[in-house]
Amino acid sequence: MTGSRKKSADRENQRTSRRNFLKAAGGSAVAATVAAVAVPSLATDDESGQQADKKQYGMVIDVRKCIGCHSCSVACKAEFDVPLGATRSWVEYTDKGTYPNVSRNFLPRLCNHCRHAPCVDVCPTGATYKRKQDGIVVVDAGLCIGCKYCIQACPYDARFLNPLTGVVDKCDFCIHRVSKGLEPSCVNSCVGGARIFGDISDPESEISRVMATNPVTVLRPGMGTEPNVYYIGADHSDEHENKRGWYDVRVTTHRKEKDRR
Amino acid sequence: MHELTWGLPVILYLFLAGLGAGAVTVSGSVLLRKGGFGSSRFAIARCGALIGPLPVMLGTFLIVFELGQPFRALNLFKLINLSPMNIGSWLLGAFIFLSLLYALTFLPPSAGPGDRLRGVRRALAWICVPVGISVAIYTGIMLGAMPARPFWNSPILAGLFLLSALSTGVASIILAGVFFRRNHRDPAVRDDYDNSSYLLTASDALLIGGELIIIFLFLMFAQLTIGDVRYAVNVILPGGNLAPAFWGLVIVIGLVIPLVVEIVLIVPKLLYGRRFVSIPAIEVAIPTAIIIGGFALRYIIVVAGQITAPAAL
Repeated sequence: MTGSRKKSADRENQRTSRRNFLKAAGGSAVAATVAAVAVPSLATDDESGQQADKKQYGMVIDVRKCIGCHSCSVACKAEFDVPLGATRSWVEYTDKGTYPNVSRNFLPRLCNHCRHAPCVDVCPTGATYKRKQDGIVVVDAGLCIGCKYCIQACPYDARFLNPLTGVVDKCDFCIHRVSKGLEPSCVNSCVGGARIFGDISDPESEISRVMATNPVTVLRPGMGTEPNVYYIGADHSDEHENKRGWYDVRVTTHRKEKDRR
Repeated sequence: MHELTWGLPVILYLFLAGLGAGAVTVSGSVLLRKGGFGSSRFAIARCGALIGPLPVMLGTFLIVFELGQPFRALNLFKLINLSPMNIGSWLLGAFIFLSLLYALTFLPPSAGPGDRLRGVRRALAWICVPVGISVAIYTGIMLGAMPARPFWNSPILAGLFLLSALSTGVASIILAGVFFRRNHRDPAVRDDYDNSSYLLTASDALLIGGELIIIFLFLMFAQLTIGDVRYAVNVILPGGNLAPAFWGLVIVIGLVIPLVVEIVLIVPKLLYGRRFVSIPAIEVAIPTAIIIGGFALRYIIVVAGQITAPAAL
């Protein structure tokens, strides 16, 4: 904490010294000296104060513990009455290789609650936004017009148009449970204990400890979305690799969309 | 194949809004232009102004009823944010309103080059040209804004949509001219018709040339890239699912054939100062081909963007 405060104070000093130079060039060096003294203390207080309340909920999925039972998908369906043919949370199977050198890996999927969420950037009505208090990306079902722009923009195909409501729907980390101190339904129902949910910004939380002590990956890191769902031991193989002809990859999405986006 | 999230209504909207905005933009530019068109200027401007609003409104109707909640469409106007769709909605609303007013100034039976509405008409033309260009260009920005859609995620897409919109706009004006302006008894007016037809054909050839250059750049830079974009662009390159439609309908029918015919038509006057004679059959066939090509372009781009995805998970 003190380290980060010191760093931001340094940055502030740099900024003010640049301002200093400009103002001195303008001929009012005295005012600038006052500003250089006054501004840094105010700014750092403000920043650290904000940082203290800022949560970022996230999830680590330890794929080594996943048995591909779809409990999470079923629990999610039941929790939200998700209509037939749509999924907020689903499990993909990746089958690789040719007998006898084969493997099957599971990849549980959900909304990544990205730090830079492309869906939020494109939403024309402000219906989708990232909550300041906990970093959950939500859809305001009362504002959404169902234009499907966010569905196009999501690199994870996490969103769908709910045919019953006509608005866009997706995983919201079980906001109704989480806000009452419960775990999300998929975490609660995971028989292998593969899912860990918590506040990533708190270094003492279980999720932060697991992330710090294990190799973790995110999906499509090249998109720059900075997801908040992390995987341990995930197989990132995709059917695109088949064109190399080395080994067969077959992905079963268990969704209406047979292809991974 | 992945389900299409944006289907035919959106494709038709992109095409119709482009055509309408293009027609109004061309109409306004012709009206404000100093020389060149003679007595045809007003007639051409009227064609474009009357054609323009209808397809835009039809397209808007289609996308509003394509929404999951059509009756909430006005939520778009509850705020202004940087979403291209939000800015586009404001532009589209302004364009429909302004282009309807602009079209109305051409409707009175007394409407003519020097009537009392002249000032209002010119003022509206001054506004309609930039707003029309914005409507034509924002659709390309809207598709181009998403890294998750590598086929669309290119700044040049907006330029392609703009040129295609202007070109289909000019084509619709030429096509309307054949039916509503051509058969005039006065030989001086017919001379002016030929002359204006030459100018429209020449500007259309320029726009088509620009479109071909943009498509060349698009394909060339996709080829020179590795990764998502190159993988995505394979769907329109030889061997891809959409290649026959792209090369047949967009490139050959929509661009190359019209360009060659138009160049053959304009070169005698352009280079040797001979008389330009418009041929009705060609004035129907070429704009029709351009309009088919313009629709095929939107169709293929919208579908190609949705059946391709980033390569690595």
